[in-house]
Amino acid sequence: MQATVATTTLTGVEAIAVEVQADVSPGLPVFGIVGLADTAVQEARDRVRAALRSVGFDFPNARVIVNLAPAPLRKHGTGFDLPIALAVLAATGQVPRAALDDVTAVGELGLDGSVREIPGMLAHAISAARSDRDLLGPISAGRIVGVVPQLRYRGIESLARMKGGLPATAPPKTSRAQTLAIPTIDVADIAGHESAKRGLEIAAAGRHNLLLVGPPGSGKSMLARALCGLLPPLTEAESLESALVHSVAGLDPRQCLDGIRPFRAPHHSCSVAGLVGGGTPPRPGEMSLAHNGVLFLDEFPEFGPASLQALRQPIEEGVITLVRAHGAVRYPARVTLTAAMNPCPCGYAGDPQRECRCTDGAVARYSARVGGPLYDRMDLTLRIDRVDPALIIDDAPVTPLSATVRSRITTAHAFAGTRHPCSMRSQLQADARALLEDAARHANLSGRAVTRVVRVARTIADLEQSVPIVVSHVAEALGYRSWDAT
Amino acid sequence: MSEHRFTLRLGDKRYPAQLAETPDPPRILYGIGDPSALVEGLGVVGARRATPYGLRCTRLFAGWAAGHGTSIISGAAIGCDREAHLAALDAGGNTLAVLGCGPDVDYPRRSAPLLAELRRCHVVVSECPFGQQPTRWSFVRRNRIIAGLARAVLVVEAGLPSGTFSTADAALDAGRDVLAVPGSVLSPESRGSNRLIRQGAIPITDVGELAQYLGLEGATPAAGDVAADDTLRALVADPMRPDDLARALGIDIVHTARTLGALEAAGHVVRYADGRYGIR
Ligand SMILES: [Zn+2]
Repeated sequence: MQATVATTTLTGVEAIAVEVQADVSPGLPVFGIVGLADTAVQEARDRVRAALRSVGFDFPNARVIVNLAPAPLRKHGTGFDLPIALAVLAATGQVPRAALDDVTAVGELGLDGSVREIPGMLAHAISAARSDRDLLGPISAGRIVGVVPQLRYRGIESLARMKGGLPATAPPKTSRAQTLAIPTIDVADIAGHESAKRGLEIAAAGRHNLLLVGPPGSGKSMLARALCGLLPPLTEAESLESALVHSVAGLDPRQCLDGIRPFRAPHHSCSVAGLVGGGTPPRPGEMSLAHNGVLFLDEFPEFGPASLQALRQPIEEGVITLVRAHGAVRYPARVTLTAAMNPCPCGYAGDPQRECRCTDGAVARYSARVGGPLYDRMDLTLRIDRVDPALIIDDAPVTPLSATVRSRITTAHAFAGTRHPCSMRSQLQADARALLEDAARHANLSGRAVTRVVRVARTIADLEQSVPIVVSHVAEALGYRSWDAT
Repeated sequence: MSEHRFTLRLGDKRYPAQLAETPDPPRILYGIGDPSALVEGLGVVGARRATPYGLRCTRLFAGWAAGHGTSIISGAAIGCDREAHLAALDAGGNTLAVLGCGPDVDYPRRSAPLLAELRRCHVVVSECPFGQQPTRWSFVRRNRIIAGLARAVLVVEAGLPSGTFSTADAALDAGRDVLAVPGSVLSPESRGSNRLIRQGAIPITDVGELAQYLGLEGATPAAGDVAADDTLRALVADPMRPDDLARALGIDIVHTARTLGALEAAGHVVRYADGRYGIR
């Protein structure tokens, strides 16, 4: 007897349709799985057998062969447990075959027959909704997959539930939490750092990559978190994209679904695969987990040449491509990169309170670890210094409320979307262009540095909702260019 | 004592003419210092318990006006008064104090060093005779002299209620303009100055506006140029970070950043590796 149950398997952040075909025929009792299945899928045999028996189904005392089609697609993970069990049940007539016709099933089985969540439930749900099929899976995933539009979800807590036929579809969930608890730092609470806060506003408005240079303890990571708080909440589409990456990585996607921008701050000991994704089976890295949010890399030069090299392509393209024997896997990675570094190996170059003891050569080597091509991708470089404690007490009235700043950023972003996308250079007014030429002469700006200054000046103009880039916009942007570019 | 005491009677040739024409001029003016320094100036008054904002505004406007040849007239009290005198001295300008006690009396005590300097190099006057201690009413009476000596009174910061209001009233009685620096609508320390603006005082929101009011520098200097001048002057002494510069000049960070960028492009200043700016 044969039966087929539909399921899906992850490739990147997409779930691809797979058919689970079970053939039960008389003969020596064997249980085999074929079709490019990895170890976790092979182990499904033991879990399926134990689960069926413990909830009171029969496991056939016969020759059971399970084929996963299409054969060339690599299958991995424990999500095949449930569809394999259902295919065996349907092939042996313990569950009516017709009941499973319009159903895609995913889920891991416990030995007691319980149905458990697997990574990427959102991806499986999106795929099922797109192909207009019901998704049958663990009941615990209902609150997450409920946000997928047009999905009919049938959740079960145990395989035993299948004795009563298919469970009813769950009503869709309301997608967002009513209140946004943003677990970041509010710029209005940061005393001093006036230039830095202005820089954050510009970075947030233009989604510019940012480099913070300053001695240890000067507040660099605090400012990076504040940047995340300045970005407006995720749009519905963005929040689903970000949640999808979290789901595929096996992390809780609910914060993303609530519109909270991801903030990821991996340590510099993080592996290349951990940073940009990799491994077998492939897993998204920190950069993809920060998709639509902020990736904060503290101690930037310590990340090592391989990691720093690996960052370059995704920064440019907003997507990470991992090439594998069975095809390429792509993960989204559109991040606002915020890197932080000390000005020198000891950390205290330029610090008014402590003396730097580094040689010029050591400082140059330290800075060179990051490398020109990566510096070139940092639109704004901000010098951060420790704030005089006296100012922290004095300074209350200077900073505008963060809500004010955030609304300026949202407005600037909207304005940038509506203005005519003609070449930036043509929006430069004559005196602004003249100032830029003066600066190129007096401060020895490279061509690339000029491009970055214009890009930042464009965002400053957007903050003022000005189509032309005027001289004051360029003047301000000059101060945010990187040090090495001079 | 090398200090120079003098007494001026209403009708004396050296009695300040602008004061004489007010409705209620003091019959006798007692003073210490240089009586020829009793020229028409800008009255600068504000809260004694000034906020950092009030102090910065005082320094900005009083310092700028004094640096451009306008004498700063105030009451030598703590807070805004004191800051106005000091800013004028720092700018190398003229300043004079009008007291509510004898001109030789150090009141408030904390202003003693300031008063000593004013008596030695500038002038301190009062309608109270030498040696007379202050009374509560003498200060209110004093305010009409500040207004009378000035061509206009600038209120830099005032809460509600405020003694500063009597100076504003006296200024109006004497036919002087009242200028006021607006403050935050959320700050109780700014309610008085904001109310004055609502009642018709001339708002002063940057040095350009003050320059225009005082008719200084022939054509009105653009605010940006003034900031550039002040920036260059501040950087001559010591290279500074933009944050510190903005604080020292009392201008906001965006304006500071733009001024520095323009000066750098023009080759007047350079940025050091540690983020400070200095004169080229
Ligand atoms: Zn060092």
